[in-house]
Amino acid sequence: MMTTMRDMYLSDPMTMRQWKEFLESQGIQEFRSGEVEPLEETIGLFDEDDRLVATGSLAGPILKYIVVRHYDSEHSALFNRIVGELVARLAERGVTHYSVFTKPRYIASFEHVGFTCLARVERGGLLESGMPGIDTYLEHVRDLGGWQASAAIVMNANPFTLGHRRLVEAAAHDNEHVYVFVVHENRSLFTTDERLRLVCEGVADLKNVTVVDGGDYLIGFAAFPAYFIPSSKDVIDYQTRLDATLFRDWFVPALGITRRYVGKEPYSPTTQVYNQALKDVLEPRTKVTVIERRQVGQEPISASRVRRLIAQGDVDGLKGLVPSTTKIFIQDHLAQLQMRI
Amino acid sequence: MDITHTATAGTLESSDIQVTLAPGGDGIDIDLTSDVIKQFGDQIKASITQVLHNYGITSAKVKAVDKGALDIVIKARTVAAVQRALDIVDQPKWEVL
Repeated sequence: MMTTMRDMYLSDPMTMRQWKEFLESQGIQEFRSGEVEPLEETIGLFDEDDRLVATGSLAGPILKYIVVRHYDSEHSALFNRIVGELVARLAERGVTHYSVFTKPRYIASFEHVGFTCLARVERGGLLESGMPGIDTYLEHVRDLGGWQASAAIVMNANPFTLGHRRLVEAAAHDNEHVYVFVVHENRSLFTTDERLRLVCEGVADLKNVTVVDGGDYLIGFAAFPAYFIPSSKDVIDYQTRLDATLFRDWFVPALGITRRYVGKEPYSPTTQVYNQALKDVLEPRTKVTVIERRQVGQEPISASRVRRLIAQGDVDGLKGLVPSTTKIFIQDHLAQLQMRI
Repeated sequence: MDITHTATAGTLESSDIQVTLAPGGDGIDIDLTSDVIKQFGDQIKASITQVLHNYGITSAKVKAVDKGALDIVIKARTVAAVQRALDIVDQPKWEVL
């Protein structure tokens, strides 16, 4: 079969329909904007009759919506061409490390083209390929100090508040050393660089705390693609368990993580599910400690409360909610931050 | 000579090989995926190593995904990856083959 590779511009309604119909015919039903909007490039392979037979997309360094027509005798050749083309396009952009989330039964197909499975749960798996890989990342983190045992906190810190500060203080008090991983993603109001900076400044006085960029690995479970999960009620379970499993299988052994600290989240059901998944997956080897939220006024301190005040331009309202380092940053960048909202 | 940045060459199509080079490591460290690793794994690694040595590269991390490439293809893809990794794409050194 002769096939031709073409770009598919999903902003064109006709192309979008063709792409969706093909995916639906192959069993993919989920096209939430959170899944489709991040797609930067989509390619398609077309047969002699100009029918779409295979497609794949890129969302940053993540390969998504890779689908090849079922029962095609050239299935694996088409799959390899799609993956190869996506990888080549990433290389052109200077991206040499990439990952994919997929159904368990397709894990072997990706392993066959050089991917390594980092974590798998009942409904999906995470694989990476290219370089540098997770070993290099963890080596780099280990080289920051080489502690035998550490506690860990993973936070988005959008932005860093006194609530985060309390969590770090509790961990720093009870443990010889603490890693604070800042989730790497740029969909938040504060960019990764800004969040990292404010966390570093906010814990600078705590000598046994090391702040680390979460890199390609701690990107926030909500960012894990889930378009291949048929039932939406299973999505959160898959995302949280996969995130926890990745942490257990790679971070815990490489860095000697004995405890993980999380904040109690009475108002966010998803965080409650996440905290429970962490307990289920990490314990008993790594103890999960839930720290109560600090209250100011009637409400607990939360980053979303801080973002609301930014939207309202109420800098005075930040008093008691954020450390002075965060407050100064917000004051200096208020207009810029409000523009982003 | 040291590799300064990560670079890749080749595809995942049949009869090709995808070679990615990154800085680091002690010596040449090759991670090879191939259906014929049992029969030709050592030979593929030797070809890649030979090209790297001809460029004077003594340490690098290499990831190679082989789809049944012939020896000349393995070497050509490695040359392309090296040239990209060293930013000397405009000065091909074909004699290294």
